[in-house]
Amino acid sequence: MENNQQQGAQAQSGPYPGGAGGSAGAGAGAGAAPFQHLLQQQQQQLQMFWSYQRQEIEHVNDFKNHQLPLARIKKIMKADEDVRMISAEAPILFAKACELFILELTIRSWLHADENKRRTLQKNDIAAAITRTDIFDFLVDIVPRDEIKDDAALVGATASGVPYYYPPIGQPAGMMIGRPAVDPATGVYVQPPSQAWQSVWQSAAEDTPYGTGAQGNLDGQSMEF
Amino acid sequence: MADSDNDSGGAHNAGKGSEMSPREQDRFLPIANVSRIMKKALPANAKISKDAKETVQECVSEFISFITGEASDKCQREKRKTINGDDLLWAMTTLGFEDYVEPLKGYLQRFREMEGEKTVAARDKDAPPPTNATNSAYESPSYAAAPGGIMMHQGHVYGSAGFHQVAGGAIKGGPVYPGPGSNAGRPR
Repeated sequence: MENNQQQGAQAQSGPYPGGAGGSAGAGAGAGAAPFQHLLQQQQQQLQMFWSYQRQEIEHVNDFKNHQLPLARIKKIMKADEDVRMISAEAPILFAKACELFILELTIRSWLHADENKRRTLQKNDIAAAITRTDIFDFLVDIVPRDEIKDDAALVGATASGVPYYYPPIGQPAGMMIGRPAVDPATGVYVQPPSQAWQSVWQSAAEDTPYGTGAQGNLDGQSMEF
Repeated sequence: MADSDNDSGGAHNAGKGSEMSPREQDRFLPIANVSRIMKKALPANAKISKDAKETVQECVSEFISFITGEASDKCQREKRKTINGDDLLWAMTTLGFEDYVEPLKGYLQRFREMEGEKTVAARDKDAPPPTNATNSAYESPSYAAAPGGIMMHQGHVYGSAGFHQVAGGAIKGGPVYPGPGSNAGRPR
């Protein structure tokens, strides 16, 4: 088992040596029948995301123009007192890695906002993405529990047991993730019960997603509605 | 609220403005940069609340610390002092971010190839710099002050290589950024 003393303050699961990221886990999991389409849609969108990233990065030839400031990244790295020397390539690599991280977190958060028929991404959407994604376990402490509770309340308010579907989207023109065509199709989105969500994600994960007490508490919170 | 990022500009552009001290804002990446990247993941008519932007800011810093901590542990076990790109990629794999490693490997490889070319070019022009120079000489000014959109433009083409463990000027700011002189690269 890896030494995670540096991350002792965070409620995180251990590493997943045999497991894949959330998207691969979702693809592998059979899950309950009513939610297969939902998971397949998410899997499809994330696959498009990663495919796009691979293509985009292949064309990068200028390492001076970054989306994120290297000096600030280095400062954050050096906030850890055990970190002594950092090679020049490390902040540059992190600039790209953080971009991927922000994109993935935002996409997963937007899926939640969309399920609740909102066009504004809110903090509780990010909280939902964090609770639903294994590799984001290390972030649970950043989102206060009232955000999780708020999420549960929203889920309770909208849940009617009917799974929602949105049609596959075409080639994203100018956007990495297209918008589901809600109006031309059914015009109705219904949020599946969050408890089912939890069971689906748990069955998809190879490791125990809630191995720590804090995570268990959050799980308990999210099931209240 | 309009789609435009209202946090651009101002003395504390990079942080939460009046809510945070200048030192505290260093803990996060600039909210304008984070917001711009978030918008790339969303449909055009989507909006992002201030709360969401700030939460993602915190999440990114946590991500950097999480990966860095794991990489640092590995370096200590192997009695190495410098964290390099491969250590970060290893840490990401260990911590479940395998999906990130494949695109980043290609990115890092191409960066090293370019660095090799630049190092050769730099040494053709100048005397060889000392190979044991500390990494702390590596520094770049914050891009947070740059107006939106300027980040997408081509910067200056510099003759010297700045991506090795030696001090260099390649990524120091030109007229677009504050501190264009070579002193801007020195530790603050």
